Amino acid sequence: MAGKTKKIQLPKSVLEMKFMKKTRERIEKEMENTQDHSSLYSNIITNEMRSASGNFISESSFIFCDTMVEGRLSFKGMNPEIERLMELENADKNEQPSSEMVKDVSDEILAKKMNKFNKKRQNQNPNGEGINNKRKKVNNL
Amino acid sequence: MKVKVGDVVLPGDLCEEIVAAGEKSKVILGPGLKKEVDGIYVSKAGTLRKRAPNTYWVDNYQKRYIPARGENVIGIVAQKAGDIFRVDVGGSCTASLSYLSFEGATKKNRPKVVIGDVVYAKMLVASKDMEPEIVCVDSHGKKGRLGVLEDGFVFKCSLNLIRKILNPDCPLINSLKNQWPFELAAGMNGRIWIKANTLRETIALGNAILGSEYLSNDEIKSMCTNIAGILAGHIS
Repeated sequence: MAGKTKKIQLPKSVLEMKFMKKTRERIEKEMENTQDHSSLYSNIITNEMRSASGNFISESSFIFCDTMVEGRLSFKGMNPEIERLMELENADKNEQPSSEMVKDVSDEILAKKMNKFNKKRQNQNPNGEGINNKRKKVNNL
Repeated sequence: MKVKVGDVVLPGDLCEEIVAAGEKSKVILGPGLKKEVDGIYVSKAGTLRKRAPNTYWVDNYQKRYIPARGENVIGIVAQKAGDIFRVDVGGSCTASLSYLSFEGATKKNRPKVVIGDVVYAKMLVASKDMEPEIVCVDSHGKKGRLGVLEDGFVFKCSLNLIRKILNPDCPLINSLKNQWPFELAAGMNGRIWIKANTLRETIALGNAILGSEYLSNDEIKSMCTNIAGILAGHIS
């Protein structure tokens, strides 16, 4: 596993600088340690043992398997502290799925208002020089 | 015997479906499943369950609590030993709770916890060979929902029932929450702490929880309306 995850290393030119002496020594020591480690147990720990668990992760608790709500609940003002926490949690949950913009005016109200508005406009220009008539002309063409 | 998801399984059964899934991607093996050299074996009697994408576990009936990391439990302080409390959580041995693992606790400012207190705590360390350790704070040092539970009433039930009532699909809590004010703490160790304003309400709540163990969702709903009716005095 350790071999797979590559650690970020300082470039050689930087390590050769005078003030980097301590770091250089530390890195060399680390390298030695890890090499010793793998060679020390190489005859006991086989590659098979290293990959024995494969893709399987053991979990001893149900809470990571099943979906469950928090076990501390309060209702109708019995414990305001807990209820505040519950509200915060619910707010978090509800916010996530609604990525669309929230409508300030519903479609029905908009339709009603528009109808009223159009009627008003027609009443204002009964003589046929309004915008509506212009549009009609375009439609006729 | 070879089994598949949804079957009633017994210890020693083999599941090839999980092995096949494990070849493609990571698989989480929950309680009741053991990985051996030649496959995945069942180690508990119950129903084999799966949650998408790749989580398998055995849902079994059990009353004995086995400590597991990350679970919230209800414990009773049994002993004060120097700077730790020994807390009975229903496991094979008591759990230890440091007096510093409470919100705002310092060496000078000790939390007011006495023997016999009921605490709602999180399992921090739980291993086969060591005493479990519990804490009453989260990683930010805040108590959140944990801490000493004052007043109220504690009763025991099976571990299944806890999982059942905490399931988001279970109608029990949803049908009771608008009826009367109450507070509830459910520990994964099979203990439930409840608190309501009157004795009648507390008993009603306890009966509703215990009664819902072997009922279907519809039956739970009708039971709850029944109990609420009795409590309100509509039915005698």
